[in-house]
Amino acid sequence: MRNVRIFYEKKGRMKFVSHLDMNRFMSRLIAKSKIPVWFTEGFNQHAYMNFAVPLSLGYVGLYEVVDIKITDDGYSLEKLVDDLNAVSTPDIHFVKASESVMHTKEIAFAEFNLSFDCIDAKMVNDFFAQQSIITKKKTKKGGIKDIDIAPLIKKAELNGNELTLILTAGNENNLNPSLVMTAFYDFCGTKPDFYDVTRTMIYDKNLNQFA
Amino acid sequence: MNNKEFERLLLTVQKPGRYSGGEINSVIKDKNKVDIRFAFCFPDTYEIGMSHLGMKILYSQFNAREDIWCERVFAPWLDFEEVMREYNIPLFALESRDPIKDFDFIGFTLQYEMSYTNVLNMLDLANVPLKSADRKDLSPLVVAGGPCVCNAEPLADFIDIFFLGEGEEVDLEVIDLYKKHKALGSTKTEFLREAAQIEGVYVPSLYDVTYNDDGTVKAVTPKGNAPTVIKKRIIKDLNTCHYPENFVVPFIQIVHDRAVQEIFRGCIRGCRFCQAGFIYRPVREKSAEVINRQAKCLCENTGYDEISISSLSSSDYTELEPLLNEMLDWTQQNHISLALPSLRIDNFSEELLEKISHIRKSGLTFAPEAGTQRLRDVINKNVTEEEILSTCKIAFAGGHTSVKLYFMMGLPTETDEDLKGIADLGQKIVDMYYAMPNRPKGKSVSVSLSVAVFVPKPFTPFQFEPQISKEEMERKQAFLKSCITTRKIDLSMHDSSTSFLEGAFARGDRRLGAVLEAAFKKGCKFDSWSECFDLEKWNEAFNECNLDPDFYSQRLRAYDEINPWDHLDYAVSKGFLVREHKTALNEKTTPNCREKCSACGANCYGEGVCFEKR
Repeated sequence: MRNVRIFYEKKGRMKFVSHLDMNRFMSRLIAKSKIPVWFTEGFNQHAYMNFAVPLSLGYVGLYEVVDIKITDDGYSLEKLVDDLNAVSTPDIHFVKASESVMHTKEIAFAEFNLSFDCIDAKMVNDFFAQQSIITKKKTKKGGIKDIDIAPLIKKAELNGNELTLILTAGNENNLNPSLVMTAFYDFCGTKPDFYDVTRTMIYDKNLNQFA
Repeated sequence: MNNKEFERLLLTVQKPGRYSGGEINSVIKDKNKVDIRFAFCFPDTYEIGMSHLGMKILYSQFNAREDIWCERVFAPWLDFEEVMREYNIPLFALESRDPIKDFDFIGFTLQYEMSYTNVLNMLDLANVPLKSADRKDLSPLVVAGGPCVCNAEPLADFIDIFFLGEGEEVDLEVIDLYKKHKALGSTKTEFLREAAQIEGVYVPSLYDVTYNDDGTVKAVTPKGNAPTVIKKRIIKDLNTCHYPENFVVPFIQIVHDRAVQEIFRGCIRGCRFCQAGFIYRPVREKSAEVINRQAKCLCENTGYDEISISSLSSSDYTELEPLLNEMLDWTQQNHISLALPSLRIDNFSEELLEKISHIRKSGLTFAPEAGTQRLRDVINKNVTEEEILSTCKIAFAGGHTSVKLYFMMGLPTETDEDLKGIADLGQKIVDMYYAMPNRPKGKSVSVSLSVAVFVPKPFTPFQFEPQISKEEMERKQAFLKSCITTRKIDLSMHDSSTSFLEGAFARGDRRLGAVLEAAFKKGCKFDSWSECFDLEKWNEAFNECNLDPDFYSQRLRAYDEINPWDHLDYAVSKGFLVREHKTALNEKTTPNCREKCSACGANCYGEGVCFEKR
């Protein structure tokens, strides 16, 4: 048995596929590819899969990670990537597979690229210059609480109509860029404009690429 | 609208996966390299339409031809319809996102009457004139198939061509004829006249309907050389008939999210209330070898971890045991679960029972349909109380604690005694459970009884019968409720105002087209969805058109009355239906097709169960 970490891109029409649907999609893809995947041995046996960080519906992801286990230790990882691409759609493209180096718990940050039709640069700079950014977040229990997202924003940089954000990610303190944008539009006092979001990278706490 | 704007709008609605397209195995072609573009429309949501096997078969068959590009279209849910209307997005096909009004064919599948308003709404969203007469050009042609076509008169004003029976052959014949006429630059009328000569093709505009003073049909007269009677088509050999090697596998969860393998068409039983049991005659089977091969291929190509066999009554498949033996072998090896809907397992071998016992158990369900043996004889439903009780006993001993039973209310000759029988049967199951020394320890039993309202349908022996009135239904519901004395029995009788509308449209005539259009203009759509159904609007629509729904649904029809569907030939003769109706009123059953031929007329195709050795 061997642990394998697979890196893939999720783009195009696949951005409309939610995380839950992505789970089903991936298990069918693995079944079709006939790679020797390890099945769980419980009551409901299924191919073992672990997605590193879920991606929100509507976002493009260029550095997506899923871990699987394969039963044939000699199975070439290049072949595994080719096998998956052969049965996938062009909008899910497998880039590479490797041994896992880090634990998924080590994920601390994610980088996003937001592109706008037009955005007010001064407003952006004023917004991110604030010491604290209080916004309302829905809790899992259905309530709403005020949180300060300023400490969760590691980097915010505007280039023309492209905004790059590095935000905390992982099991604790995960910050979704949509929450940042809600706070931004509250700050501006305007209705949210359309923007496209791409998650370009995930990092550990030292901003090393997740491997 | 460009792609980017469109995709941004998609993110403002629920479940954008319904409209995004791009699913695995969806077919993309170069539109400049195809001759025919076909929009296959299912007039309900994506989740329902994508579960429909007929669409998968035809989608795959059409696309197997290089010159045809068949794409899928579903009714947008209310939230996305609002967006489409606000931003002027015309109804589009999922694969290409091109507006369907530019297609050669817009084809609807008519699976239930309550989807008719969605047909109109989809045409409207597509910016296509609703009425056939207002669409002067050769294309788009609006065509329709499916079981409701056996009386599609309420849609006659809107549809150019109806396909009667199974579509695999006739659809392509019409497409080929269209291709010829398109090249010739023919008019729509020229094309339709020639199309009407193909067996199984019904062009409603080529028939004049006249009415008697009492509102019944006086005559249906063909124009020109259109045939007087239109006969349904069947596929004679299912083994060689096209079956998809691949399904489009949706991203979002749909109603039946699994591979489906058809095993036969038709049903030998002849339950007298069941339209499917008559209009799909004669029974034709696929060989176990073909089924097994197709099912395996489908699982490999879709990656589904569940496959279900499909037919009207799988227990009646002649090679069931060898088939299941084969299928269980490879499904279990590959972590695929085999779903066996409503199988009677009483006569299986020990070995097979052992294999089946590994399948995850689903709920225990029966459909006795009626509460007493007398009424079950009237409807020719061959389930006996002993069978139900003995199967429940085995299941309870095996650890089951709940059972679900389906019934109908308002069946012909039904009395309060029969209704009480429903409650009594539930009580007997409860009593039996507690009388069992080996029942699951410490657990209570739950029996759920679900009672629907019977709707008489064309081409069944009950097509002559009146549907019960709303008042009578309410009385019966209250009575049945009063018969239940234990909380172990859960009785569900959902509000059935849709049943009465369904009853009117099932046996309606052409004049209902005006009601349909009026209701659509008032905003009626998704009528099978309780959150959308608005009886008030429908009543207004009927009033404005000076028509009474009860005329169609609650009238005893004489045997010699001309029904709106009598010019359609579904291979079951009216004489047979009359005989069956009389037998029903005499409380006598009719043997199934394998026991004895009842001369329904379905042997006219020279194929199927009619020619099996008995």
